[in-house]
Amino acid sequence: MARVLMKGNEAIAEAALKAGAEGYFCYPITPQSEVAEYLAKRMDEVGGLFLQGESELAVANMLFGAASTGKRVFTTSSSPGISLMQEAISYMAGAQLPCVIVNIMRGGPGLGGILPAQSDYFQSVKGGGHGDYRLLVLAPSTIQESVDLMMLAFHLADKYRNPVMMIGDGMIGQMMEPVEFPDHYEEPELPEKSWVATGAVGRKPHVIKSLFLDPYMLEKNSWELHEKYDQMKKEEVRYELYKVSAKNKIMIVSYGTTARICQTAIDQLEKEGISVGMFRPITLFPFPEPQIHKEAIKKNINDVLVVEMSTAQMMEDVEKAVLGKKPVNFFGRTGGVVPAPEEVKEQIMMLIEKQKKTKAKKKA
Amino acid sequence: MNLSAMRFQPPAISGGIIIIVGGYGSGKSEVSINLARYLVTSQSETTGPVSIVDLDIVNPYFRSREAAKELEKLGITSVNPSGGQFYADLPIILPEIKGTIERREGTVVLDVGGDDAGSRVLGSLANAFEGAEYELLFVLNANRPFTATAEGCLKMMSEIETASRLKFTGIISNTHLLEETNEETILDGLRLSHRVSDETSLPVRFLSALENILDEIDPKLIDVPVLPLNRLLLKPWE
Repeated sequence: MARVLMKGNEAIAEAALKAGAEGYFCYPITPQSEVAEYLAKRMDEVGGLFLQGESELAVANMLFGAASTGKRVFTTSSSPGISLMQEAISYMAGAQLPCVIVNIMRGGPGLGGILPAQSDYFQSVKGGGHGDYRLLVLAPSTIQESVDLMMLAFHLADKYRNPVMMIGDGMIGQMMEPVEFPDHYEEPELPEKSWVATGAVGRKPHVIKSLFLDPYMLEKNSWELHEKYDQMKKEEVRYELYKVSAKNKIMIVSYGTTARICQTAIDQLEKEGISVGMFRPITLFPFPEPQIHKEAIKKNINDVLVVEMSTAQMMEDVEKAVLGKKPVNFFGRTGGVVPAPEEVKEQIMMLIEKQKKTKAKKKA
Repeated sequence: MNLSAMRFQPPAISGGIIIIVGGYGSGKSEVSINLARYLVTSQSETTGPVSIVDLDIVNPYFRSREAAKELEKLGITSVNPSGGQFYADLPIILPEIKGTIERREGTVVLDVGGDDAGSRVLGSLANAFEGAEYELLFVLNANRPFTATAEGCLKMMSEIETASRLKFTGIISNTHLLEETNEETILDGLRLSHRVSDETSLPVRFLSALENILDEIDPKLIDVPVLPLNRLLLKPWE
């Protein structure tokens, strides 16, 4: 297929169709409403279901019901809307239902603002709803990657029978980039969905539920879920290294479009003779903990710098990965303020100054 | 004056009310900003004072209001909501907007939101436009999903006319793929603009493209006036 120019929100919508999504439930909210607007036109053309609910609560529970049929279904929203969906997300995780949820994040807490943010990190990766569950969380940094990960999200949801969340800051939803779609989404074969509730004609009913009054049954369910999360940790960790070399003295950890701001800073510093590398997590759960640890403990690295559009959320996971072996520094803007590459450069120059002073002290 | 502007025929737009509409992401804001700059710098004898009105009530980011400071340096008046509302994507129609249209002084470039949804705001200003001479220009980008074919463009143009209660006077050929744009992209887009022009009997008022790409194109290949673009609405890492 030829390259087209698309807004992230539109590209995410089209990618879902390419992955075989048959049901989309939505409630509009800035900055992700174009997903719904695009699908209002396109869903009909592919014979799928487009349904705007009366609220995010309704939408998330429609998703719960539709996911029980085994069809590929999804929703998209932005931060406050995702908060409203948490109850049903927890239910779906408990009932082991596959579905895809996209959060195009805006500034919070509360109603916040409509500009880009990454402050729903905790909500996404630490379980925004109640109970022992996790979401598989994907974080693209380009529109093409949003397309690729959106298609993958449906596959992973089916593979693990678990909700998969893709998070992008508002910039991912709103900016435009050239993208390409495959004619058909090629994916590894999945086991038949033997659990679907599609009408118990000629067979025993399949019961899909998250209610287990017997504590031993509930505990068993929770450990089953836990096993899936362990399997995700083994099989699904994704990340990218940017200009990582033995010359680096500093390693940035950043995700989403913030990583692209850091890339610009890294490229500019390289021209000035300063070598900085970056570790970009693509899966936020499972978090690339051992991989970050391995990079951070390398001899040449003196400092780790976490850059995000929040007041230090992923920072906690990076600290957990580095295990105190190296100083983990933080730079963040939030509330819809997007950091400029110059600000990231400034932070790096400050760290270099600090490193020089430490070295001088050691000599003295 | 830049190289491209000298090599190509400049757009023959002398002033008045110029309304820029089109599909989502066709490049209306960037075209509006650059058109206002062109008018104030090259056509100042005929345009009178130039103002730009950000009438985008459907997009939250990448709107012409983000370039307001740059434009004001050039003497272009920029009409935008103030304070926190500057950042909102609410249907805020300032009283100044109606006033600016009704005064019929100088030149007003109206940067309108995408699709028929974005153009509906013009319908609410129908009284202000009454009896006015205006240009309603359709920004066409052939690489956008809903305007990739002549049929798609005609459908969208008809929807925009209905929503805005105004009639088109021309087409702006603005086909691009951002940083991946090349000569072929621009010429393919121009061919589609001509097809739409044949179907609608509307002229291609001008072609707009980034200056650095225009510099490499043989002017003979472009048979319409050209507005060279300098991007002002950049991504944070650009």
